[in-house]
Amino acid sequence: MLGALGVGLFVAIPIAAHLLRRGRARERDFPPTALVPAARSVARERATLEDRLLLAIRALLIACLAVIGATPFVSCSRLSLNRSAGASVAFALVVDDSHSMRAQGAQGGVRFERALGAARELLASAREGDAIAIVLAGKPARLALAATTDLNAARRALGDLSESDRSTDLEGAVSLARTSIASVPHHDKRVVLLSDLAGAALSEGQPPIWTPLPELATPLENCAIFGAEQRGRRVLAHVACTSPAAAAGRALSFVGEKNGSPVPLTPRGGIQELGLDLDPKLEHPELQLNGGDALKGDDRCPLAAESAALGVLVAADASNASAKTGGPPVLEQAIGALETSTALHPIALLPDDANEYRSSALLLLDDPGGITPEARSALTAFVERGGVAVAFLGPRVEQTPLGATLEPFVHGAVHWEAKDIGDVNAASLAWLGPEAASMQDLKLRGRAGLSTTDLLGGRILATFSDGQPFLTQRELGRGALFTVALPSSVEHGNFPLRPAFLALLDFFLSEARTRRGAAQSVAGSEWTFSLGASVSIEGPRGALAVHERARATGNAQKAATPTLAGRYALRIDDKPEERVVTVDPSEITTLPQKPPETSAQARASANAGSVDASPELGFVALALLALELALRVFRRLTRERTVAAAT
Amino acid sequence: MSELRKALDWGKLAPLRLRAKTVADGVYAGGHRSRRRGAGIEFGGQRSYVPGDDLRFIDRHALLRHGTLLVRQFETETDRTLCLLVDASLSMSYRGEDAPGAKYAFAALIAAALCKIAVGAGDRVSLDWFGGERTIELATAGGREAFERVVGALETAQPSADLKSDLPALERAVARVERRAGRGSTVVVLSDLLDLPEGAEVALGSLGARGKTLTVARVLDPSEVNFPFTGPLHLRALEGEARVETDAAAARPQYLAALEAQAQRWSERLLSRGGSLVLLSSADDPVKAVRKVLDSVGGFA
Repeated sequence: MLGALGVGLFVAIPIAAHLLRRGRARERDFPPTALVPAARSVARERATLEDRLLLAIRALLIACLAVIGATPFVSCSRLSLNRSAGASVAFALVVDDSHSMRAQGAQGGVRFERALGAARELLASAREGDAIAIVLAGKPARLALAATTDLNAARRALGDLSESDRSTDLEGAVSLARTSIASVPHHDKRVVLLSDLAGAALSEGQPPIWTPLPELATPLENCAIFGAEQRGRRVLAHVACTSPAAAAGRALSFVGEKNGSPVPLTPRGGIQELGLDLDPKLEHPELQLNGGDALKGDDRCPLAAESAALGVLVAADASNASAKTGGPPVLEQAIGALETSTALHPIALLPDDANEYRSSALLLLDDPGGITPEARSALTAFVERGGVAVAFLGPRVEQTPLGATLEPFVHGAVHWEAKDIGDVNAASLAWLGPEAASMQDLKLRGRAGLSTTDLLGGRILATFSDGQPFLTQRELGRGALFTVALPSSVEHGNFPLRPAFLALLDFFLSEARTRRGAAQSVAGSEWTFSLGASVSIEGPRGALAVHERARATGNAQKAATPTLAGRYALRIDDKPEERVVTVDPSEITTLPQKPPETSAQARASANAGSVDASPELGFVALALLALELALRVFRRLTRERTVAAAT
Repeated sequence: MSELRKALDWGKLAPLRLRAKTVADGVYAGGHRSRRRGAGIEFGGQRSYVPGDDLRFIDRHALLRHGTLLVRQFETETDRTLCLLVDASLSMSYRGEDAPGAKYAFAALIAAALCKIAVGAGDRVSLDWFGGERTIELATAGGREAFERVVGALETAQPSADLKSDLPALERAVARVERRAGRGSTVVVLSDLLDLPEGAEVALGSLGARGKTLTVARVLDPSEVNFPFTGPLHLRALEGEARVETDAAAARPQYLAALEAQAQRWSERLLSRGGSLVLLSSADDPVKAVRKVLDSVGGFA
């Protein structure tokens, strides 16, 4: 390559010849020279003017030939795929659309746009027969385009991509990318990672990862508000900074507040909480960080209208449902262990007034002894508004007082079967995940017999090994009622000690969050609604699409995924609601990791920043040649006309 | 000077012997009058009788009218020698792009054709040179053999020598011609009249004295006549040290004017000595060129 490019030095030859000849015409014999008058200055000027164009053409021609000689090994800033023996390539483009990719790159321009540009360059170098898959690395990792040889489809898929405030799921995206091209028949497979690498460390695997844009993985100086909760007249704000330098000199304040004093940030990296007094006169209060950093979009955060924490009511008898070692009931401990951001409210009795459920999204009822009509009415109203109620039935189902029933969970009398019974059918709980396997070998000393009851239109989600219902679900309004045939007390079996118990509680929390909707959520988290609900969402950039999707439990529901941070106005069955979407703090605090160790094959890809420009250069060389010939013909005609005129 | 540069470019004018015969035949075909047919009978003038003159030629009419003895002379008694003086200086080796051959080649062709015509008319021919190498001077001779010798000498000679500052060489050549050419002989000089030394006009003009007919045929290359160059030029004379850097378009009018003025000066100088100047281009038709020379000589052919 260098040798071929060295030919370009021959450009100096016509230049040197021009310099030697400049101002001095070729000497020729002419006997009557003594009769010819001298006109030196005119001659030199004409020689210079006439030769300059030819000089430029010849120099360009030689340069073109040199580059053609060096092609296709000549490098340029344009990315392209290197092919071994010209074979087709299957490559998965992993485009990181997380929040950190919205920062300005080292060479200017938004990182996400640079990644998209690189993807387009790679796509431009693809040929017919190449297979392309596109995976997005914003959490959760998504397959934007399954492996296809339709290059136009790939171009359209790239054109549809847009930036977001999601957190990063590099590992999932790379895994998805590897899977997406695993089945194509191509021998040469590659995973191209276009990311700032601000995520979990990547593991080695096949195909190897090629990171053609290492310049994106430069640390940022950035601070972001990733949440603001109202606690009465106070506001608790959560701020994340990449480094002490990023936090130094910055302060937090309300947008539009004139009399308030900004609260300075502690000059340290990581997450910090700051409290501010809320001015009640402010409409749609919004917090802001003064100063500037790499990402201005996350320096403001709207304040949720009410507490953002998910309210959980736990009605459990501490004497029965607690562990022998003491402490709060098992349910409370489990909820606390699962999610720290929940607002846990233990209650002794079910509320008789629906308003008492206002700040709650989930009711966990352990071993109820019947539900009074007032409590039933309040509970029904709570569920119909989107609440989730879970009843862990225990021995007290047989002690229902007069006038109290277990409705709206089940209809009719429920009997407690106090005997050693078999396990829960783990297969029927497979939708729960791998934890379902832990439901085997349970030592149960009894269960609530739901087989004889009316499930009130509900359906069975899981069964015992003998086919008796273990878990049922009944839809009611926007909410749902779940009935578990086992209590949460460890006295009746070791069910609460199994991982599946926590997984089940996590499922209930998730249901509560999606049905009721957390007032504040992270960008990329899905909002779900009941299938019959009328839902419209207006986000920071216009309407947010709501679509139907099937659930793991079988029934369908509506869902929408806000990808941008900001305030969202929802109308659910004509009832207005406001939600706030924030960025994930890990997106700020996670620093870019080193690119993965490049394997030999990836190195081959990494050398692929070369372009075969020989066709274009060939045309340029031909054009230059034609131009020189035309110029020479023109000069000859001009000279002949001059001679003819002279003679 | 390299051998390559010394080699004469005959171009389309070779072979000289055949070309000369063809040209001479072309001149004859155009019509001519033979001096042999009236030789010895055409009146050539009168002179006073001196004892010993043939009494047959006493002009009796003049004696009866004037009482003076006059003798009638006839042209057959005058010297009709053709003396060729050929310029073989270095500038005669020049051949431009549009010329069929070098200037010397064209001059040699004209000289050979004149020789052929003269020999054919029964006249004698001599050959002399100024400049050149391997030149062979030929004394006055007639007949077919004379033509062969003249052609051989013309083919052998090689244009050379810088006469720019060598007037004595030219004067020596002129003196040789004067010795060979008697009264009534015809002297034809074939030269480009370029790069000749100061005084060349006087020296060559003297050849027209004492009853000789002098014709100077100036042979130039077409490029010397037209100056067809374009663009920047860097010119170098073949004789002398003249070098000129110029622009063709700007220099052309002045050059042509200078060439015309030089020709005019030569013509006037020769005319004052009874001679004449014929302008030839090496691109001319040789037949027409020979006729022009013969017309200038005035009755040679």
